[in-house]
Amino acid sequence: MFQYVARRVLVAVPMLLGAMSIVFFAMRILPGDPCVSMMGDQATREALADCTKNLGLHRPLAVQYVDYLWRSVQLDFGNSLRQGYPVSEYIARMFPHTLVLVMSSAVVAGLVGIPIGIVSALKRRSPLIDYPLRIFALLGLSMPVFWLGILLLIVFSLRLDIFPLIGGGDLEGVLHMLRTGEALSSPGDFLAAVGDVLHHLVLPAFALGFTLAATISRLSRSAMLEVISQDYIRTARAKGQGERAVVYKHAFRNMMVPLLTIIGLFVAVALTGTVLTETVFTRPGLGKMLVDAIGARDYPLAQGAITVFTMTIIFVNLVVDMLYAVVDPRITYR
Amino acid sequence: MTDPVPVRSRSTIAAPPGRATIPLPAVRHRLHARGTPMPSPLRSRFALRSVTVLVLLLATGLGSLVDPPAALAQKKKVLTIAAKEPDTLDPHSSTLGQSQAITRFLYRGLTRFAIKDGKVTTAEVEPDLAESWTLSPDGTVWTFKLRKGVQFHKGFGEMTAEDVKFSFERQINRTPGTRYGVNLEVIKSIEVVDPHTVQIVLKAFDAIFLLRMVGYQQGYIVSKKAVEKHGEQFKWNPVGTGPFYFERHTPRERVVLRAFDRFPGGRPSIDEVHWFDVPEDATKLIGLEKGTFDLLYPEAVTADFTDQVKKMGAIIDRRGPGAQERFYINMTKAPFDDIRVRRAFMHAIDRKAIKETMYPGGLARVASSCVPPGYFGHIPMTFPEHDPEKAKKLLAEAGHPNGFTIKNYFISKSFFYPKVLTLAQEQLRKVGIIVELQVVEHATFHENIRKNLNPFVLYGGTRITDADPWLSLFFDSKEIPDPATGNKGSNFAHYRAMDDLLAAGRNERDQKKRAAIYAEAQKRLERDLVCLPISDVPNQWARNPKRVAVPFDPDHGEFSLHYSYNYPEMLKVLN
Repeated sequence: MFQYVARRVLVAVPMLLGAMSIVFFAMRILPGDPCVSMMGDQATREALADCTKNLGLHRPLAVQYVDYLWRSVQLDFGNSLRQGYPVSEYIARMFPHTLVLVMSSAVVAGLVGIPIGIVSALKRRSPLIDYPLRIFALLGLSMPVFWLGILLLIVFSLRLDIFPLIGGGDLEGVLHMLRTGEALSSPGDFLAAVGDVLHHLVLPAFALGFTLAATISRLSRSAMLEVISQDYIRTARAKGQGERAVVYKHAFRNMMVPLLTIIGLFVAVALTGTVLTETVFTRPGLGKMLVDAIGARDYPLAQGAITVFTMTIIFVNLVVDMLYAVVDPRITYR
Repeated sequence: MTDPVPVRSRSTIAAPPGRATIPLPAVRHRLHARGTPMPSPLRSRFALRSVTVLVLLLATGLGSLVDPPAALAQKKKVLTIAAKEPDTLDPHSSTLGQSQAITRFLYRGLTRFAIKDGKVTTAEVEPDLAESWTLSPDGTVWTFKLRKGVQFHKGFGEMTAEDVKFSFERQINRTPGTRYGVNLEVIKSIEVVDPHTVQIVLKAFDAIFLLRMVGYQQGYIVSKKAVEKHGEQFKWNPVGTGPFYFERHTPRERVVLRAFDRFPGGRPSIDEVHWFDVPEDATKLIGLEKGTFDLLYPEAVTADFTDQVKKMGAIIDRRGPGAQERFYINMTKAPFDDIRVRRAFMHAIDRKAIKETMYPGGLARVASSCVPPGYFGHIPMTFPEHDPEKAKKLLAEAGHPNGFTIKNYFISKSFFYPKVLTLAQEQLRKVGIIVELQVVEHATFHENIRKNLNPFVLYGGTRITDADPWLSLFFDSKEIPDPATGNKGSNFAHYRAMDDLLAAGRNERDQKKRAAIYAEAQKRLERDLVCLPISDVPNQWARNPKRVAVPFDPDHGEFSLHYSYNYPEMLKVLN
């Protein structure tokens, strides 16, 4: 097991390196100059030259690249060109927002998508049930998250005034209270802050979760269909077990194995989804930060964000592979 | 002072704090209705249960959150603004509209734009941090007497001549990050005479020096002690003498400012300003209607935007002269090196149609000159009228009877650029000039026009309100962009026929003679047909009049170089 993990971590290194290199060069291949973008149309030639020099962008590309890698190894991603904050600090402040969004949308996607997939597989022969569920899946697949997001905002935030329009709640405050132990000493404040964060989270988590739920429901439907036609299900039924036990005990557990595979993929899709979700709901987070960073040609910030995205995806995939062994005892790692 | 515009009776803007909240059962009911479209004969109890559990989970999840937690009675007067996040709060650093708008809340300059007859004037100044000033007979030495007892925020002490000297010198010395040193290059030296007197020696007479000293961009006075203490991090630890001081910044969310008790003009009536980072105009509008935001600074003002603003009963504060959108034609690039082709181009463009499509009615004015109105030296100019037939004839004369095609024309995907250009594209197509567009990021657009990749350039912007800096930037031969030398100037017309006038204007002390010089400059532009102004677009903010009152007429009652209100301390939050 340990050997396997070590091997996987080693394999992750070239992957990370590749991703970082692609971002580094892609950002620089993109036309547009961070100084021009920052200083606008009033900048003089001298000012632009000064700016380029101050940011170290006048150096040869190879030198910049090696410097970037060397600093990254030391976990120093530099400072944001535009705002001057250290990138690592910036990411550390944004990451929790994105993490809770991805996790809560995963919960929504799972809670909505898996049952719908199961029901639609089990009831595939009754059009009254299967068809509406398949329409739901189609809707979820075809509705872009930004469109659904705006609709949700108009209905639940503007018309009904149930949810806040913008922001992510005081997540930093919550984390601070957790760190300092204030969460225990003044639980009232803590719960209020957590409630506020959740309050801000409902609409974005639902918007992102719903679009992902559609994919999940389609996948769990086909997973269930495959499992339900296996011999051991027939055996279980032949033993005289109730339908509930068959579905719960035999089919559901086995269905989770193929479903697990897509979780790694799911994280990648969800992270991409945060870019739009955070923009529409005006939540702070890595996605919104990344878009702005690319628009402003803020190289270090964009590089940092992509590195964190890549690391997250690699890590989740590793965890998923580990989980196989837990879910399916036949799988062992050597 | 109250708002001069009557509040519409049919307004639908929510007036917080009295918010309508839907009663709980209704919400649950809706969710039930939405979540249970199952037909009744469900054979599997499992399926029924899983769906019920799901619905219950969602309903309880939502239900428990219906009452906003900790919605405590806030008696504080908070002004909420939806704009974009500033990139810095160092006033000498940013050229972005949102940064310049917010710095006016934090800083002041030696002079300010004068308020006359209830209007903020365009090119006149009055004392602000300086109490009075004198100019030496040779026109090169300005002596400013500073107002006594002006305090910096956060206990950084009294503002003195040292801070004034420091504020200008850090820019002249091109401290990394500062952007406006070029506007202070006329300064030879700065002497601190005593703590409340500062003497600024110029290299030569400068007609617009007091305009340079206005609290705007290079003119803001920062605390020397604070800059020295915070170094590079001053941009997020700003200290000035403005009506509000910086409280905190949550990246990608908001900047919070608080009223400054010791502001010379008295503590503002607003207690806090919350400046939110909202990238989408659609979200801003929803927020204005809902009452989440009191003021919003749109990315782009369109007819659709104003319709929505009006429908909800909000007001657009329109402050001129604002930005001018215009075309510069590169007179060195074939086929536009032929003046007949340039004339044909201008005949082909229907300026009124573009203006009306982009900014119907009073949203903007058809531009009358290559120097916008409200700028010193402006005179009305005439341009070839819209006449496609004449355009075709001229093109034929110039050897293009079937027109011509411009490939790879780059245009920014942001702001007004793509819209104006597609309108122009259609008009040009009618006379046979085919423009093949490549829509690119704004930064790419800026890069490419400085590589002379576009034979004509669409451009917009605001400058110090005087013909000298304006014409110098766009028509001085020193500003011709050239990728070979790295010159990234903005003389996109590649014009060389005005250098003599610009030099003469800079040395002229008689205002009348200066005006005559710039009139002549505009006549030359009229003759050479290198610049076609389309619209003069005022700066526009949308405001909830039930929440915020401003002392100036919404329709051009204020001049605003700051992309914002000149006097944020005069804003009043109602109820």
